[in-house]
Amino acid sequence: MRTFNRREVLRAAVLGAGGLVSCDRVVTGMNREVFGEGVPERLVLPEGEGVDAAFHLLSRAGFGPWPRDVERVKKMGCEAWLEEQLVPEGIDDTACDWRAERFESVYFSAGEAYEFRKPVLRDELTRHALLRAIYSKRQLFEVMVEFWTDHLNIDLEKGDCVYLKPSDDREVIRKHALGNFYELIRASATSPAMLVYLDGKSNQVRRGTEDKPNENYARELLELHTLGVHGGYTQADVLEAARCLSGWTFDRNRFWAMDAGEAFFKADWHDEGTKRVLGVVIPKGGGERDLDRLVEIVCGHASTARFVAMKLCKRFVSVEPPEGLVEAVAGAFTRTRGDIKAMLRVVFGSEAFAASGGQLLKRPFKFMVSAMRALAADTQAEKAVLEPLQRMGQGLFQYPTPDGYPDEELPWMGTLMWRWNFGLAMAAGKQGGVRVELGRLRRAMGGEAGARGWFRYLAGRVPTEAELAAVTGESDAQTVGLVLASPAFQRC
Amino acid sequence: MKRRAFVSKLALAATSAFAGVPREEGHTLIHVFLRGGADTLNVWVPFADDRYYRLRPGLAVGRAEAIAVSDRYALHPAMVGLEAAYKEGRLGAVQSVGVDNTSGSHFECQDQMEHGDSMLGTPAGGGWLGRFLRLNGGDEVSALSAVALGTVLPESLRGAPAVSVLERIDDIAIRGAKGEDAAKVMGALKAMYGAEVTLLGRRGGETLDLFQRVAALQGKGEAPEHGAVYPKDRFGEGLREVARLIKARVGLRVACVDLDGWDTHFFQGNASGQQAERIRILSEGLAALDLDLKGMRGSYTAMVTTEFGRRVSENASLGTDHGRGFALMALGDRVKGGQVLGGWPIQVEEEVNVNTPGPGGLHAETDYRRVFAEVLRGCFPGAEVGRVFPGVELRSVGLI
Repeated sequence: MRTFNRREVLRAAVLGAGGLVSCDRVVTGMNREVFGEGVPERLVLPEGEGVDAAFHLLSRAGFGPWPRDVERVKKMGCEAWLEEQLVPEGIDDTACDWRAERFESVYFSAGEAYEFRKPVLRDELTRHALLRAIYSKRQLFEVMVEFWTDHLNIDLEKGDCVYLKPSDDREVIRKHALGNFYELIRASATSPAMLVYLDGKSNQVRRGTEDKPNENYARELLELHTLGVHGGYTQADVLEAARCLSGWTFDRNRFWAMDAGEAFFKADWHDEGTKRVLGVVIPKGGGERDLDRLVEIVCGHASTARFVAMKLCKRFVSVEPPEGLVEAVAGAFTRTRGDIKAMLRVVFGSEAFAASGGQLLKRPFKFMVSAMRALAADTQAEKAVLEPLQRMGQGLFQYPTPDGYPDEELPWMGTLMWRWNFGLAMAAGKQGGVRVELGRLRRAMGGEAGARGWFRYLAGRVPTEAELAAVTGESDAQTVGLVLASPAFQRC
Repeated sequence: MKRRAFVSKLALAATSAFAGVPREEGHTLIHVFLRGGADTLNVWVPFADDRYYRLRPGLAVGRAEAIAVSDRYALHPAMVGLEAAYKEGRLGAVQSVGVDNTSGSHFECQDQMEHGDSMLGTPAGGGWLGRFLRLNGGDEVSALSAVALGTVLPESLRGAPAVSVLERIDDIAIRGAKGEDAAKVMGALKAMYGAEVTLLGRRGGETLDLFQRVAALQGKGEAPEHGAVYPKDRFGEGLREVARLIKARVGLRVACVDLDGWDTHFFQGNASGQQAERIRILSEGLAALDLDLKGMRGSYTAMVTTEFGRRVSENASLGTDHGRGFALMALGDRVKGGQVLGGWPIQVEEEVNVNTPGPGGLHAETDYRRVFAEVLRGCFPGAEVGRVFPGVELRSVGLI
């Protein structure tokens, strides 16, 4: 991952100062012509009754295919594509960078973010996330960013989180999205945003006082981030973990400190006594190293391997994944000491995955992004595009409780109306803030254009008679709108 | 197949998850926010308190003009439309409600109130109504269970499982299609979702029903009933749309409507003038809603709040500056109306001084969250409210 310091960003801003309005169009033009972001000459349409294997992989290990993707995966093979995706730094993403890197607050340190107004921070972080999901060629990476953003959920509206989440997004989630789970958890534990969101920053046990540690983060660390609620820890373990963590804090007022935007360890707030977590003794006097010991203990627990494996299987395979698969993924976790890539290889290489085409419900974010990707949409992710996502119930970085947006189907069923309207309006060219390429796509389908062709292209399989009859509209726009609104397109 | 079994399990779970807030009740909380810090002392006029007249030589509402409703309080003359509701015991208020924020900042106080937080406490995340909806049958939402009238999502609804920001009901329509086209689209959706024997199919069908109920409403019933006349501005139009949604029984649980223009630092006016005009719009709007919904008055409760009240003393430019406590009012059959709750005489921090944190005005005697919680409990009996305001002692206020 490239990281940016402030000077680089400012320099880029100066270079790009040809007026942002005209800049948007130039970027689109450049991307379409030079970076292959457009529509190819010919489209290859899936033709089986079940969801096409390449289409299926792109829909789960990514946010759905961009016009040329299915053909590309077919050519190179699913396995080769997956391996390519597992090394995101090897994939050129210039076209996406052009669109997403203009949001400078996303690239500032936690301390510097206080220079921005809240609405700007909210807006930029959200637009950045949406643009990355739509345009990045590192699709598996972006999908994992979404996964960990839920797993280590932080609500921007709590306390100072809006100022601190951009650096958490960069330094915790994106930095470790395809890395090592232990390191991810270690980074999250000392992320200023997490210290604020789950009150770790006030976890103090001053010497010679009756201070009780603040257990909030310790509890969620065990319950939601690692072992899982039935993972076999006790209330005493929560308290002991909180004692290990005491002293790690964040203070935005350390204005003059070189590391003002970082968490720091306050030795006199730390409980120096002996602790015992999950049966493991942590000798007294460990100081800030207690945190490292704790991360080892909780991440290394057998329940954690299983819990993380289960979550990955639920997100990528099935709401009720087969036991054998969960075990295999947990085995990969244990064998590799938390290597996320190793787990993903097992998930996407499994028979259960191959057999699960079209059985998961897309959450609203994936619904929107997959629709926009399929239609080679041009958008700057402005308010008009974000608003429907809000209506559908998945406003980004807004989930209030630490468990993150759910994977279950039920919570998303109340807002189908807004999905239909988004699909119908976008296809008809009436959704503000986004332009789609129906004409070019139709031409690229050649003789296969028509309701049947659109359905195959968008749903990755041949429609049934009834589906075909229902989606056949008066125009391409209506047909595409109906396919996007169909039950088939709500699934992946 | 396993999947099928799981889906039916979920359907069962949905029924029980919804036990908190039974849909048949069909009660709607209408949350009116007066943006800018409303001077409620000129709405609920404490005419029996001489300090009021002494400190407001130019701004006080005269005893002769105010509508006396008790031996302490009178209504601003522009509140005339709500006088009957008060006398029927359906309109009531709590004096000296407030947030503990002492910054005097509109932004901070609104933010805190909408998030249901306090200055010293730990924020709970999301908006208070968003949290409430998430905690109570958040799974069984309809697209229209929470609606904000306007163009912006209010912070109070942040985190809600589904929230729609609308200006008019007519926004709820198949977009990009009219007439025959719309019929074709509806037919196609019905065919496709009808053919699905899954949760997705069932909920798709319910959504189509909802569309049709709203569509029927769009065709007729545009005119308010019982001769109700809404004020011709965004607030009035917003309330009119809320009434239409309530009548259409679309599962509306929370509706948020804003009325701005209350930051009256300059030439506020008294019985007439700038603020009187805002009060008129507020009272005419609520009165019209109440009349329009005459046949189903048990089905809603309106709560009117603002971020803070204003000083008791007028300033040199015949306005009032930011204060603390304010009078919160509620309208509806479930309201224990016909009274103004809160201590008497009103506790006032008359002067700003170093020993009094904050900008002075009425003492913020009642934590606003106690009132919000009580309103939620009144609207949705049996609902989980404690976790909406964690760590707050939610003693009864007596308004609902």
